[in-house]
Amino acid sequence: MHNTVEHTSSVIFGMDPTWMAVSILLVVYAFIMAEKFNRAVLSLLGAGLMILCGVITQEQAIAGIDFNTIGLLTGMMVIVAISQKTGMFQYVAIKAAKAVKGNPWGILVMLSIVTAVFSAFLDNVTTVLLIAPVTLLITDALGVRPYPYLFAQILASNVGGTATLIGDPPNIMIGSAANLSFMDFLLNLAPITPVIFLMMIVAIWFMFGRDLHATDENKALVMRFDENEAIKDVPLLKKSLMVLFLVITGFTMAHSLHLEPASIAMFGAALLLLLQTFGQTLEEKDHAYEGIMADVEWTTIFFFVGLFIVVTGVEHTGVIEMLATKTLELTGGDFNATVGAILWVSAIASALIDNIPFVATMIPLIQSMAPSFGGADAIVPLWWALALGACLGGNGSLIGASANLIVAGFAQRAGHPIQFLVFMKHAFGLMLISITIAHVYIYFRYLS
Amino acid sequence: MIAENIMVTNIVTARVDEAVDHALARMRDARLRMIPVVGDDAEIVGVISTFSVLEKVVPSYIVTGDLNHIPYAPDIGILRRHYDEISTLSIAAIMDKNPLTVQRDESLLSVAAAMVSYTKHEYAMVVDDQKRLLGIISAGDVLDRMKRDDDDA
Repeated sequence: MHNTVEHTSSVIFGMDPTWMAVSILLVVYAFIMAEKFNRAVLSLLGAGLMILCGVITQEQAIAGIDFNTIGLLTGMMVIVAISQKTGMFQYVAIKAAKAVKGNPWGILVMLSIVTAVFSAFLDNVTTVLLIAPVTLLITDALGVRPYPYLFAQILASNVGGTATLIGDPPNIMIGSAANLSFMDFLLNLAPITPVIFLMMIVAIWFMFGRDLHATDENKALVMRFDENEAIKDVPLLKKSLMVLFLVITGFTMAHSLHLEPASIAMFGAALLLLLQTFGQTLEEKDHAYEGIMADVEWTTIFFFVGLFIVVTGVEHTGVIEMLATKTLELTGGDFNATVGAILWVSAIASALIDNIPFVATMIPLIQSMAPSFGGADAIVPLWWALALGACLGGNGSLIGASANLIVAGFAQRAGHPIQFLVFMKHAFGLMLISITIAHVYIYFRYLS
Repeated sequence: MIAENIMVTNIVTARVDEAVDHALARMRDARLRMIPVVGDDAEIVGVISTFSVLEKVVPSYIVTGDLNHIPYAPDIGILRRHYDEISTLSIAAIMDKNPLTVQRDESLLSVAAAMVSYTKHEYAMVVDDQKRLLGIISAGDVLDRMKRDDDDA
């Protein structure tokens, strides 16, 4: 791996590539945490510096980009961008609120379940972007303060996202790097998420649920919402549901068909792009394609591209292997202790910093531990610990996940801002309890 | 043809410290959708329009969310609640602080181009060097000049 140095750029001015790579990574991560610049720009700058300073060649940089993660993210973003235009999310949210006859606590539980289920199959940001405004409409109708509802939705989106391969970006990265399938995630992570969800709902009942009251008049107002009016485009709805069904079925079978999830997501996206404009003129089709392409979060995609290159640069210097060795020294080479350490460190780190760069760095670190524990199959519990820690840790603070910030933005616009410390006071303890549950689950399922 | 030949000088204005509902009442009486807001020295500080008030009355989580069309929602009293909240505020809180201003000696072409390039402004405020309001030109005022065949517009 290290014999390619003579081909790399000579701009390095004789500096040590290890020192260079680590400095680039630390400076980029520090700026990402400071949130003063766009994170995609920062990661791409870091990626460029890795190549310009001669840490890695362009070929090595390109090889370091995980196109399975990129493809899966892009494909799902396109599918979601099209299906959100149908109004099906609003339909489900209103239907759920009416199913409990406008009861304020019932609505909180229902909207949380809807958020968790959508987050498991679609990205969390899109889910809350669609559910939070409907929630505010409903709480305005009920005449109750929206905070408990939005609080529950933030927790639900992160817990739901933990359940599947496609639920949260860390899971996509982990699944791709460790070659774990959609079914692997469903069988190993999904069983524990309802337990954690239930714990949180019970806690929210004691924190806020008991005090939620609405007049009969206001409940009747909620019942006057007409979910059928929410569906904007019935033919597009049918097409979207069909493609979503095909894609998710494809994910469950991908492993046995030797297909990567990215191929399925990208094919589904292409199919839905074709179907959505069927029968329109070429001009209308082009216009529609451009609209969908504008809805894809390219910032996130380029952030991933840059990040993969930055991490590849550091990986090339051997620093990550060294860190892995140090970690194993700390845990005494004990597997149980290593699993616990990864779970808890991931949770605390993800509560405070962006979990995507954290997971991107942890992946090669865990990979280089494999030989010490007897190969790739033996370290699978480490991947589950990383996934549970990184996804659930997002609940620890308002900056723990992008979805949290989106919800906080809506709360602000509705005139009920969510304070950083107030959220943390309510959520951090719940996050710790959820990690404890996850730890007990991992222990009994994989370690005892 | 220059701005000061076209502008209307008989103007209803609002003062920046006036309450929103006061200004709205005067706009209703004068059948105007938009009036300029002036400060202590008759300098223009903004404009207030029925549309800009409406923008503040509709909850922003609807406008900035993915909800902008909500045929499924009944009246939930939120418009009235927001209106009550803002109607007693001073105009400064809700006015548009960046009205389109033009100089008195600008050509008709320049004024018309500024209106079109400056989205959402179908009125141009004609001001002097101290930003004091001299008159208003509406899109309709510009078009009225097109009908006369004796001019060079």
